[in-house]
Amino acid sequence: MEIRLSSVFLAAALLSGCGWFHRGEKGPKPVVAEEPQGEPSIIEPQVNRRVVKTPKIKAKDIELGAYFGALSIQDFGTNPIYGVRAAYHVSEDIFMEAYVARSKAGTTSLEDVFPDITIVSNSGRHFTYYDLDLGYNVLPGEIFLGRGRAFNSALYVTVGMGDVKFADKDQFALNFGLGERLLITDWLAMHLDVRDHVFETDLTGRTKNVHNLEATLGLTVFY
Amino acid sequence: MRPLLALLLLLQAFSVGLVHAKEQLLEVVVAAPFLEMHSGPGRGYPVVYVVGRDEVVSVLYSRTEWFKVRASGGQEGWARRADLALTKLASGEPAPIPPYPEFATHRWEMGAGYGVFNHQNLVTTWGDFGLTDSLDVEFVLQQALGTIDNRYIASLGMRHTFIPEWKWFSPTAGIGFGYQYIDDKVPPKPLQDTNQVAYVSLGARGFITRRFMWRADWRKYVVFTNQNQNEEPDEWKFGLAVFF
Repeated sequence: MEIRLSSVFLAAALLSGCGWFHRGEKGPKPVVAEEPQGEPSIIEPQVNRRVVKTPKIKAKDIELGAYFGALSIQDFGTNPIYGVRAAYHVSEDIFMEAYVARSKAGTTSLEDVFPDITIVSNSGRHFTYYDLDLGYNVLPGEIFLGRGRAFNSALYVTVGMGDVKFADKDQFALNFGLGERLLITDWLAMHLDVRDHVFETDLTGRTKNVHNLEATLGLTVFY
Repeated sequence: MRPLLALLLLLQAFSVGLVHAKEQLLEVVVAAPFLEMHSGPGRGYPVVYVVGRDEVVSVLYSRTEWFKVRASGGQEGWARRADLALTKLASGEPAPIPPYPEFATHRWEMGAGYGVFNHQNLVTTWGDFGLTDSLDVEFVLQQALGTIDNRYIASLGMRHTFIPEWKWFSPTAGIGFGYQYIDDKVPPKPLQDTNQVAYVSLGARGFITRRFMWRADWRKYVVFTNQNQNEEPDEWKFGLAVFF
């Protein structure tokens, strides 16, 4: 009996103690206010939001490459030429292109006949040019090789301008070109080009427009 | 010959590397009755394969207004931008085929053109970044090729487009500074070969097609010299540009 009584007292003391401690907190929160904050709803959604990343499409409109061929420098013979080119394709018809190339001129007939005469110094015989061109694909089409192979191709015309450095002098030059682009694969192209670089010079005594024709073969890669 | 070959091999390796680095491709579902695949990126190339509705195609890359796509059976071909824009993602949303940039609000621009600087032929190139629709920062690199001297001029300036929403013709005005370098092989040598320059400009720009535009500009320079008088050359130019 005693034990039972003391346990009742003990329980009462504990409960009152709990009440005391509870009062020691910042104050009872109203039940109504608590419900929308922390009270779990019946079903707790366990969703991790998936981050959907759509892959971007790479644009391959830029063409970079190199070429070599023969350049006929008016009055100075035909010589090998090496160059690099970069193009940006604006639409399926139009592209913009830049070239840088170098060659070395030979001797004129006059210098061959009279070896003592020098028209251009040895260092000035370098023929270096850059060109900025606008191109137009005139005849796009396909080239067939045998029965089972077809390569995409385009015949294009270019017109542009730039600087020709020859005989240690920079000259403004226009250029006109005709070329054929043959796509070996969709990212690799072969080019055959014929271009004329026209500028004014007085190297051989009188001022005249000189035509410097080049025929080149090139390879380019699309990026 | 050998350096050229080495360069080409390097370019090729770089290109292949780029292709392999990006494994994840955009996959779209054909929503129109069919999607035509051409043999090349151009309107004249024949249709080599047709993908039916609800079939999935992967988009490999784009070239101008054409997209290289691969059907689920492995067939590859080129689809027109307008056709591909009608496809959907697996979730049902429209496929994220980027439209052409809006001309009035474009940000980047790159161009080249011809002009006359102080009665000399001028080759000009420029890059342009739009801070707002009507205010740009322009960087211009040009070479003036004359009978007496050969100048390189680099300049940086601000340009205002008065009515950017006028598509075909919109007047512009600008102001900026820069440097010129005279590379002269013909005697007499210039007193100074490097000068600071400043300019004001008036011009116009307009849209041509897709990503293509034109610009015309007139500039009045002041070339600061250490002599009693500064030079004040004029320049006009016309060029074509691509915008992004």
